[in-house]
Amino acid sequence: MPCPTRAAEPRVATVDWSVLETLLALGIAPVAAPELRQFREIAVEPAVPSVVTDLGLRGTVNFELLLLCRPELIYSSSFYVSSEPRLTRIAPVERFSIYVPGRPPYEPAAAMMRSIGARLGRSSEAERYIVETEAEFALLRERLKPYAARPMIPINLGDARHFRVFGADSMFGEVLKRLGLANAWTEATSYSAMAPVGIEALARIPEAWIGLIPPVPPGALEVLAGSTFWNALPSVRAGRLLQLASINPFGGLPAARRFARLLTEALLTERGHG
Amino acid sequence: MAEAVLPMRRQFHHQTAIWLAAIFAAAALFAAVVMTRPSLTDPAELARMLESALLWHSLVPRSVTALICGAALGLAGLLLQRVLRNPIADASTLGVVSGAQLALTIATAFAPAAIAVSRDGVALAGAIGAVALVLGLSWRRGLEPLTVVLSGMVVALLAAAMSATVILAKGEYMLSLFIWGAGSLSQQSWDAALSLGPRLLLGWLAAGLLLRPLALLGLDDGTARSLGLALHSARIAVLGIAIWLAASVTAEVGVIGFVGLAAPALAREAGARTPHQLLLAAPVVGALLLSITDSAVQLLGSGLNDLAPTGAATALFGGPLLLWLMRRVPPTPPAQTVDAMAPTNRISRPLPALIALAAMIAIVGILGLVLGRGPQGWGLATGDLFTELLPFRGPRLVAAGAAGALLGAAGCLMQRLTANPLAGPEVLGVSAGGGVGLTLALILLPFSPFSMLAGITGGSLTVLLVMLALAARPGIGAQRLLLAGIAMGALCMALVSTALSRGDLRAYVLLTWLSGSTNRAGEIEVWIGLLGCLVLLAPLFLATRWLDLMPLGEATSRSLGLSIAGSRLTLATVAALATAVASLLIGPLSLIGLIAPHLARLAGFARSRDQLAASILTGCGVMIVADWLARLVAFPYQVPTGLFAALIGGPYLIWLLNRTGSRHA
Repeated sequence: MPCPTRAAEPRVATVDWSVLETLLALGIAPVAAPELRQFREIAVEPAVPSVVTDLGLRGTVNFELLLLCRPELIYSSSFYVSSEPRLTRIAPVERFSIYVPGRPPYEPAAAMMRSIGARLGRSSEAERYIVETEAEFALLRERLKPYAARPMIPINLGDARHFRVFGADSMFGEVLKRLGLANAWTEATSYSAMAPVGIEALARIPEAWIGLIPPVPPGALEVLAGSTFWNALPSVRAGRLLQLASINPFGGLPAARRFARLLTEALLTERGHG
Repeated sequence: MAEAVLPMRRQFHHQTAIWLAAIFAAAALFAAVVMTRPSLTDPAELARMLESALLWHSLVPRSVTALICGAALGLAGLLLQRVLRNPIADASTLGVVSGAQLALTIATAFAPAAIAVSRDGVALAGAIGAVALVLGLSWRRGLEPLTVVLSGMVVALLAAAMSATVILAKGEYMLSLFIWGAGSLSQQSWDAALSLGPRLLLGWLAAGLLLRPLALLGLDDGTARSLGLALHSARIAVLGIAIWLAASVTAEVGVIGFVGLAAPALAREAGARTPHQLLLAAPVVGALLLSITDSAVQLLGSGLNDLAPTGAATALFGGPLLLWLMRRVPPTPPAQTVDAMAPTNRISRPLPALIALAAMIAIVGILGLVLGRGPQGWGLATGDLFTELLPFRGPRLVAAGAAGALLGAAGCLMQRLTANPLAGPEVLGVSAGGGVGLTLALILLPFSPFSMLAGITGGSLTVLLVMLALAARPGIGAQRLLLAGIAMGALCMALVSTALSRGDLRAYVLLTWLSGSTNRAGEIEVWIGLLGCLVLLAPLFLATRWLDLMPLGEATSRSLGLSIAGSRLTLATVAALATAVASLLIGPLSLIGLIAPHLARLAGFARSRDQLAASILTGCGVMIVADWLARLVAFPYQVPTGLFAALIGGPYLIWLLNRTGSRHA
């Protein structure tokens, strides 16, 4: 049952979430992508049309189903190298490496969008998206000028005692830089994030904003609310704790924009309260 | 008289010196932690306030928590060892920890409300369930020490498989579960200390009240009963206290292995003899042990980050310690275990039966290739569709089947070698060693399928060589070799769980391997599997005489003119290599190596040659079915094959052991 497609636009599939985001942002619905249930919960946007087939877990993509979706091109990423011998049997594979230890991921993400745009005949859309992204960052940067004095630490709570931190080679770190905010975590991280770090490490950055990125483990915030140490942290005492909505930490440009937007909204509302 | 007192007094002084040295070391290390904590460079006022908050709400409660947890685990270990008369009983070897972990994992993923209501309650329920299962498994065998620990191992593996399945399905809470699984002691409040302290005191007082029964529990059942002791209620009370303490610690700070094992043993080494002395000494030793370990990981880390979670660090010394303690385990007479391995009803003509088995597997295999699910639902793949799907369904079927065959053979070999029906390749520690190799490869080498392969093979081989060196040592005996395998496995899994607690994408790769997915199997995996079968399994049939004689015990075999050391070394090498290849294909957690030989025996294949062939075929067949089901039950989401096999096999094994147990009771 081959679906009618435009000649310029081959049937694409992807096994990577950052590619999925990028495709959707360019207005292309891939025939198949992995773990859509979690994607809708964690990455949230762009919305995934119901025509996209769910390929199962990212770690164990259902190759049979992918084959039956009859893609003509499969986008992969450096995380799925070990799947590529299987993927190439289904359709030609193109791989992107956005997340490499020690390298900031923003430029590679933009390059990926350009490359996908060129390959699928959406070059102008890709350029427009990148320009829009830059413009949005410039705008947000202006609005955030009053906040630039303080650094920000984006974290994932592991439990009530530990967190995962995102460093300079993470997308969150990149966005902070582009928004003119300093990342309060200056130590090295590998593969974007470092965990587990004890909560007490937050005492070393008393001046920082804390950006809390979901998922928050059940009960963790309740335990923290009753913790003397947590409440003694200057950031917490002064209400510099931002609870953001869910964002994919290993995303592409759309995730970067989502983080920038949510962060700005949270900072501005926080100021409104104070 | 005076001559006798003098050395005793000297010994007493010697022991006092050891105690003082240990206490001094713990105190000095804690002082070093306080001294070396990074100073804050902020406005002086703020910095002073924060530093005092850090000291009084993080460092001090952490060290107090370490002391309390260590004491509680030491006490729990002592009670368990006493009540089960088992020198290697401990909360981790009995499955308390894994049971609690599984319960907390399930609750975190599916019923967060239950965690919010009572974290401890959830953990305790899981712990009690696991211990009940372990004791139930070994009840018929009179709670014989090694059987208890091996049953604990099976239950722990099963619980780990189920936990990993849940974690894979609910990826968003992965980090919290991993941190907890590696057991970190870092604190920012007195909560843990305040909740565990009274429990420790209560448990300790209750244990003190049970001191007389506790002393008598060291005697055998007959003597204890004739002294008028309500044996069972005393046992259950002591057991209850121990499980409650261990489960509370596990719920509060996570998995901390081996302290319960080490503390009573070291207390005995330091001269504690009577129950009175031990009841005092074991908690103190446990407290010091955990405190020293915890200070060490803080000192060796950078800034405020620990080098490794404390729970993983305790396993680093716990594994070797278990090896050292082995010499205390009384060897079990092989005759008792051989009995349990006797076939139920022999098949008179094994060859036609084996052929029938092979034919059945062929039919199942073909069905697995043809029947599947697609976007339009269930369907039989024929013609073009079949040839299209074959490159995907074929390799994973072959990989799963080959891994099953290899594990079946490895299990059969190990059960014959050790004369123990609970021996299995997972027990050897070789598959876990592959995990350490993979971890190192992920850290050190560029990410590629070949570096993963090299890592797993390197790790498996290293552990294998260590095990062989141990096996070659005179007087180690088959049972101790098995224990060495458990210790090695625990050590390796602690290292893997440290890597998992980093929660990055490498952790995800490790988790995928742990779960044992055949999804990516391709030509390379097919060739590895087939070559492994050909090279490792075919020559085994030339060595069946060894296998026939092996379970008769060393004395009998030697009197029949069999070179024990040589044949055992050869068979152990084959078993370990087969395990390594299989773990590469389907991960380390499937229990197929344990189950296949039992199935073969139950079907009536008695002679070792027939049992070996039947084990190989059964392992192959069960894995093919497991793979097929794993592909289809949650379509398009796939359950990892290794996990699925463990989930099929584990409960079956438990049922099987109870059945055989009752027959021989």
